[in-house]
Amino acid sequence: MIMLDHLMPVPLEERLSQNESTQIWNKKLAFSEGEWIKITAPSGTGKTTFMHILYALRFDYTGNVILNQQNIRNLTADELSAIRKQKLSVIFQDLKLFPHISARENIELKRVLQEPFCSAERMEEMAATLGISAILEQSAGICSYGEQQRIAIVRALMQPFEWLIMDEPFSHLDLANKKIAAALIAAECKKRNAGIIMTDLDDDDLFPYTRKLVL
Amino acid sequence: MKQLNSILRKLIRNSAGRTKFTVAVVGMSVAAFLLLTAVQIQVDYNQLLYSKSSKDSIANFLVINKVLTDANLGNTTLDDSIINDISKQPFTEAVGILTPSRFKASIQSNSNRFPFYTDIAFESVPAAFIDVNDATWTWDEQADFVPIIIPTMFLDIYNFQFSLSQNLPQLTPAIVKMIVLKVNIYGPNVTTSFNGKIVGFSDRISSMLVPQEFMEWGNKQFASDLSGKSSRIIIRTKDPGNPMLTQYLDQHQLTTDSDKTRFSKYRKVVDAVVVISGATGTLMLIFALLVFSLFIQLTIASCKEEISLLILLGASPTQLKKFIMKQFFPANVWMITIALLAVTVLQYFIHQFLSNQQIVLSSIISGYTVGSALLLIGVLWWVNSKAIQESIHPKRSKD
Repeated sequence: MIMLDHLMPVPLEERLSQNESTQIWNKKLAFSEGEWIKITAPSGTGKTTFMHILYALRFDYTGNVILNQQNIRNLTADELSAIRKQKLSVIFQDLKLFPHISARENIELKRVLQEPFCSAERMEEMAATLGISAILEQSAGICSYGEQQRIAIVRALMQPFEWLIMDEPFSHLDLANKKIAAALIAAECKKRNAGIIMTDLDDDDLFPYTRKLVL
Repeated sequence: MKQLNSILRKLIRNSAGRTKFTVAVVGMSVAAFLLLTAVQIQVDYNQLLYSKSSKDSIANFLVINKVLTDANLGNTTLDDSIINDISKQPFTEAVGILTPSRFKASIQSNSNRFPFYTDIAFESVPAAFIDVNDATWTWDEQADFVPIIIPTMFLDIYNFQFSLSQNLPQLTPAIVKMIVLKVNIYGPNVTTSFNGKIVGFSDRISSMLVPQEFMEWGNKQFASDLSGKSSRIIIRTKDPGNPMLTQYLDQHQLTTDSDKTRFSKYRKVVDAVVVISGATGTLMLIFALLVFSLFIQLTIASCKEEISLLILLGASPTQLKKFIMKQFFPANVWMITIALLAVTVLQYFIHQFLSNQQIVLSSIISGYTVGSALLLIGVLWWVNSKAIQESIHPKRSKD
């Protein structure tokens, strides 16, 4: 379970405190295990900031994020690493791939960073499903943004997790590819009984969301 | 793990340059070699000085007297204060007084076949300072003969110079010990004769020695001057090559057989070599360590983005630290091993060289040198670990 207790990013405090429509900032709410949550966030409402706070990438906020009874602010570097290997997986808006190594190595790195959850064959299957088998040996940096987005999706599905955090994960995919990717993600989340927290600019029905919130 | 390491190797590259790395490695190896050599030289020197196999018995006993100058002619006695002072010095293990005879004496042959006569003076010294073990080394008035120890050198002079020039037979130590001599002591009014026998030959004290009991009795009976002051003492010392000892003797205008203190000159050279080699090694090690840890930090800094992204994806700082240690630390172990091997080879050649000169030195390096190498590896591990730790652990911003 993830508890959000009156979160407010310090740099955005002035702007966000004027936002009366928000259902997240400065509110107390909980995301239950296995919930699939869509957070719609118009530009400038701190969408990426929120995702980074959830993933414990930044700590310049007031309030608390409690993950499984642990305040993520108090985690040591090694505890945080264990959580990122076992409990939280992420698809960043800016993808964060290593541009100089191949697409396969980008994905493989996440697969073997901990005890592998997926087999190498399953990885191949996922790549094939998303149509990136042909570019697996290419340096990630020279792949198109759409291909990079799909590499980042497969990479995020390589590990065990309780929550998959996605920040505009399909922004460069056409509708058909969006649906294929969403189906793959949904299948992998079901396999793990994992929850989804996805932010996007607009509303959508790519997943059978259990809750939709406005940031 | 293998796959992970191969990807990590691509991401965390040795991007600081091979030349810098080679310079750091060579510098470190030379530094380690100099340091280990310094340790080994010190151990070798101590082995030469103290080990049983090479112990030179004359080297540990020194007969000391005043330097004879125009100013102290006729006044060479050592007073109690200087003897006490010598006994308190750290290099002194024991002090024995050489008691001179205060009476005139002569020895002559009892045999007509081998006639000789010579005036003579005796000295005595506590038995603990004598290098001849002889059960008869005692005397009382009922004794059949007076045991005498003469310097080995005397017999050598006789056998290899005197006998040849005088056409006399050469004598082995065993024959000399069988000869019964006539010892004459001249008192103020009376002359007393004793039988005397040479019971041993000393390499340590260049004097005609008689038992202390005989000397005390003789001085009491026949001496015209009973002051009994001694001009010579003998000291037992652990290290005749101790520069403190030679310095002390110089300061107090005392002297001893310079051959016995010759080690002090060698020791000064050895000390200088050890200090120069050790200091250069330490200095080089400090610089090499600095270069090496800067090298590590530079490598990590040049991969800073990759490392932050790896941590962001879930790699733990500890996991990365272990990986980076594996990239750098084996080079350190190799460096020390090569330095240790070089010292081993050097020691073997020194052993070969010295054994030709009848000096026994171990052919293998000492445990202290190996211990020092292990200690160096420990220090390098700590420095490596610290350099990586400081570069890799992210500072969490809470502002």
